[in-house]
Amino acid sequence: MSTVEVQTTINGTPHALTVSGHTRAIDAIRGLGLTGTKLACGQGACGACTVLLDGVPVTACLTPATALEGRSVRTIEDLGRDGLHLVQRAFLAEDALQCGYCTPGFVTEAAAFVDAWRRGHPGITPDRATIAAALAGHLCRCGAYERIYAAVARACQGDLTSDAPRHDGPEKVTGRAAYTVDIQLPGMLEGRILRSPHAHAQILSLDDDAARVMPGVKAITRLTTASGLLRYHGQEILAVAAVDRETAERALASIVITYAVRPAAVGMDHARQPDAPVVYEAKGPRKHAPNTSEGPIFPRPWSGNVRGPFGLMSKKRKSARRAVADPANTTFTGTWHTQVQCHNALEPHAAVASWGDDGLTVYASTQAVTRLAKDIAERWKLPPERVRVLARYIGGGFGAKADLGPEVRAAIDLAKAAGAPVRVVLERRDELIVGGLRPAHEVRLAVASDSEGQLAGVTMEAFGDAGIAIGNVTSAVFRIMYHQAPKDLLDWDVTTHGPPGKPFRGPGGPPAVWALEGAIDGLAHARGEDPIAVRRRFDPSPVRKNLYDWAEALPVWQERGAVASDTGRHRRGIGLAAAGWFYFVHPASRVQVDVGPDGIVVSSATQDMGNGTRTALANAVSGVFGIAPHDIDVRIGDSRFVEGPMSSGSRTTSTVVPCAEDAATWLVERLVKRLVKRIGLVDARAVPGGVAHSGGVIAWPEVFGVVGALTRVGKRRRDRGGYFMPFAVDGLKVGKYLAGAVQVSDVEVDTWTGQVRVRETWTGIGAGRIVAPALARSQAEGGVIQGLSYALYEERRLDPTSGRVLTTSMDDYRIAGLGDIGPINVHFDESGFENARSRTIGLGELVTLAPAASIGNAVFHATGWRPLALPLRPDRVLAGLAEVTR
Amino acid sequence: MMHFPKTIDEAVALLSSTTELRAGGTDWLERHDLGLVRPELVELRDVAGLDGIEQVDEGLRIGSRVTLRALLSDPRTAAYPALRLAASTLATPQIRALATLGGSLLQRSRCWYYRSVEHRCLKSGGDRCFARTGDHLLHACFDLGPCVAPHPSTVGLALSTYDAHVEVVGVAGATTRSLAEIFGDGSDARDHRLADGELLSAVILPAPVLDERGGYFRATSRAAAEWPLVEVAVRLVLDSEVIRLARVALGGVAPIPLRVPRAEALLEGTRGDEAFAAAGAVAAEGASPLPMTRYKVAIIPGAVHEALTRALGGA
Repeated sequence: MSTVEVQTTINGTPHALTVSGHTRAIDAIRGLGLTGTKLACGQGACGACTVLLDGVPVTACLTPATALEGRSVRTIEDLGRDGLHLVQRAFLAEDALQCGYCTPGFVTEAAAFVDAWRRGHPGITPDRATIAAALAGHLCRCGAYERIYAAVARACQGDLTSDAPRHDGPEKVTGRAAYTVDIQLPGMLEGRILRSPHAHAQILSLDDDAARVMPGVKAITRLTTASGLLRYHGQEILAVAAVDRETAERALASIVITYAVRPAAVGMDHARQPDAPVVYEAKGPRKHAPNTSEGPIFPRPWSGNVRGPFGLMSKKRKSARRAVADPANTTFTGTWHTQVQCHNALEPHAAVASWGDDGLTVYASTQAVTRLAKDIAERWKLPPERVRVLARYIGGGFGAKADLGPEVRAAIDLAKAAGAPVRVVLERRDELIVGGLRPAHEVRLAVASDSEGQLAGVTMEAFGDAGIAIGNVTSAVFRIMYHQAPKDLLDWDVTTHGPPGKPFRGPGGPPAVWALEGAIDGLAHARGEDPIAVRRRFDPSPVRKNLYDWAEALPVWQERGAVASDTGRHRRGIGLAAAGWFYFVHPASRVQVDVGPDGIVVSSATQDMGNGTRTALANAVSGVFGIAPHDIDVRIGDSRFVEGPMSSGSRTTSTVVPCAEDAATWLVERLVKRLVKRIGLVDARAVPGGVAHSGGVIAWPEVFGVVGALTRVGKRRRDRGGYFMPFAVDGLKVGKYLAGAVQVSDVEVDTWTGQVRVRETWTGIGAGRIVAPALARSQAEGGVIQGLSYALYEERRLDPTSGRVLTTSMDDYRIAGLGDIGPINVHFDESGFENARSRTIGLGELVTLAPAASIGNAVFHATGWRPLALPLRPDRVLAGLAEVTR
Repeated sequence: MMHFPKTIDEAVALLSSTTELRAGGTDWLERHDLGLVRPELVELRDVAGLDGIEQVDEGLRIGSRVTLRALLSDPRTAAYPALRLAASTLATPQIRALATLGGSLLQRSRCWYYRSVEHRCLKSGGDRCFARTGDHLLHACFDLGPCVAPHPSTVGLALSTYDAHVEVVGVAGATTRSLAEIFGDGSDARDHRLADGELLSAVILPAPVLDERGGYFRATSRAAAEWPLVEVAVRLVLDSEVIRLARVALGGVAPIPLRVPRAEALLEGTRGDEAFAAAGAVAAEGASPLPMTRYKVAIIPGAVHEALTRALGGA
């Protein structure tokens, strides 16, 4: 038999499921419309698909559907059916989630744990190690772990709280939030993409005849250019739409392609050799090289695979060069390396396209609904009003979901050809190959201090490997840090036969800070000075001045001993790194606020990928009206609303909050005036919750009833003092004011195994006013965790000969888990930024810049070995220790 | 094609070179996705007689379909601390609830070339080991054969310290084999040496030694849920403070779980932890690392020392 009937009970209801041998329980469950359970890694590493099987948590992606026979399944949908479970309430109260995609799995497992714990240990709170062990089978890419610890502990205490600082939290903890992968349209087909098995090859012939006549196959579309040249493993060749995934897979398997496989340029060292295979032979294709940055691409010369230099960020270059060459100065020189980091959002890239009488509707996992709708209209030559992009919930993006990707192109073309809606969802393997990556960098750096102890010069040459993409810029961060110092800064691209890099949370930032802050730490050590004392002198940033004060006062810093004072197996070290980031604004953005019989409705064509846009909007408007944020209806994730910002460049909060406050303030004034006019009030004025007058207070709903519906579209008014540049680049304006961060890390190095463990972290952030404190803290912790994960674990690896990606699963591409993080202390210094509108500066990128350097400096402090290459793998640490003990 | 036999004999009768047995199915599903499974599936779901844990003359007999979770919660396995510690460290709680003892023993390699849709290696129908000349950062440092992928079975490692046996049923009936026979010597590229027509029905542990101590240590980058760089399982039996029996096995370093008799001999007769460092050093002797796996040789002494220390500390 090829299928079998399985009798099972799901959420109390008996079901007879017809399944194949390879049907996974997750497919069977989601096939019933129970889409709260998410598929992320597909191999039991992340736990997003966790359900209860006879009360025991299991990964539904590794459970054969046949195993459900005679058993009982409980999913997230059932967990809060009769009122929220303690764990769901605690997750809400502690804000133990961001994008929410891993949340159903965490909540399901935590519920089983908490129920058992409360029975066995009444009145006792489990410690972090116990919670980490219980939830060891779960991963969160946003890094909500610190809050998850707090939530689980709180639930074990039985604390029945009803706080919910995140506006869309209730949808996320119950599995009701529908992501793009959850969209199910009538007659929808499944699209699958055929990818290059080679890093460099020419397609000689392609025969898809068998696929075209296969029953159930509805459309095929080509995704490669006419030349048929393939430049990276995983490059999209074509896509097939069929009635189901299996048929689409069979169709792909039937396609016969002959390739002329060519030698590939694998990695920067190889690609820079004179005889290396060249990625772009001609000028034409170079023009179409993807951009790995968020900024513009300036024309630069090419030589083989090397493009550059880009030196615009330099200042007083000659002084800088003289300073590092002057033997009278103290200099610190080195070559730092960083690895490729994959975005690896837990919701894969996904799109559902549907052509109808009213035009084209695209559901997409995108961090740019407005931009994507515009790009689609342009590419398919449609009037803008006939394109609608929807992204109500996005399971993480981190920069990889800002463009019109192949999954969107495939879905749209296939839907058009098939005359039916088509869904295209990437597999985890695809996500880890082509889903987006932070480029690898080699940074050659020298920093020099003069006899007066000032930073006299910085010379830097950086080479970035973003695969076939270009636009690597580390020099921007070098420029804004210690900005008064002379600097000679050169960025180069080295193209390789690898999947293209995409902007990744602070593009260019983590590699730049890894090198710069390692070098400054080295310089301080060479000068025999305290790392904070040196930075105070070098660093004119008023924001970081406060943060240095804060860091210096930390007991852990006060008690810091000499370098390499531990001599036993475990060596503890305390390290510090500083970081700065830009402040971006999207001035074309608007936020519409409607008041009327429906209460207050806030809308904008922006989106929330876990960064908290809904909450920032609700808090901004509720603050003006003086009502509870949850009484505000926030509608985003739809390109039909007034134009809103994309979620990248840390611009969302700094853009939407002033817009929302602008509209809300206008409305409050107007409502009071109209109310006075309508019913004649004495001494009327707005107060929290309504309008006060000599006879009492009229609550807002009543005011709306009297005045009637009113609408206002708020704008992002310019900052006092204007912007850094008078013009906008790609719709983005660069603010004059820079955000700052300082991180202190307490690490332990196991000299027997080479393992580096972060014991505790303190991160200080100066980014102006904090609009949503709980969410800002969670985002800061998440940035610290992603940075820690980058510093210690994450690394995409390629086969050195074929150039194929080897780390195609979350077993091999490892991200930090609950047990890896240690407590994280977040300190916000909200002072300053008086001239920035609403005093809000983005912090999403800022918070992930310093962790690696801070950890690296702590490893130096622990061992006396200065790490230069990331990640700090056990093999590297052991080699480094051997170096210093020799 | 799938079959649902009801008895062990029915299952065995179905087996051939085109069939594959499935118990918990956790790895089968992943390998199905990679095109690495055989076309016909023989489901063990309905087969009777694979779930028992029972005292037998030789010791403890554990059915091959017993999940790791069940194994860990059965009071009778408490007398085998090294096995429990190892089994409770591997994978994740959700996987331990699904994965079976038999599947865990006979699981397939985690090598990233084996688990790549584009490579066909010695384990997947090809004629070469890509890791040997390619990226072998996570691979063996005892080069015992053509394939350099470390053996993935942590349970197998632990069981090797007990000289456990397995019950294998073929068309000719049931036989008992040593673990060493099942895992071989690494000279071929197979993950186990069960023949196509055979089914592993149970593991037989020898009678427990009173008050024996067990230790397990896994060197990893992360705190949990990670395949080991190096793993060590040890058993110690003490007579007052003198080590009367020592068993040491290394994982993550060779194509098979590696017992280290020289370390065991060195430990036996010593007192407390006096020989732990020496035992660790001896365990790393004879390593034949690949260019990228020298660090594993450096980890072995400390990992053995740590596992022994844990065993001594946890009576």
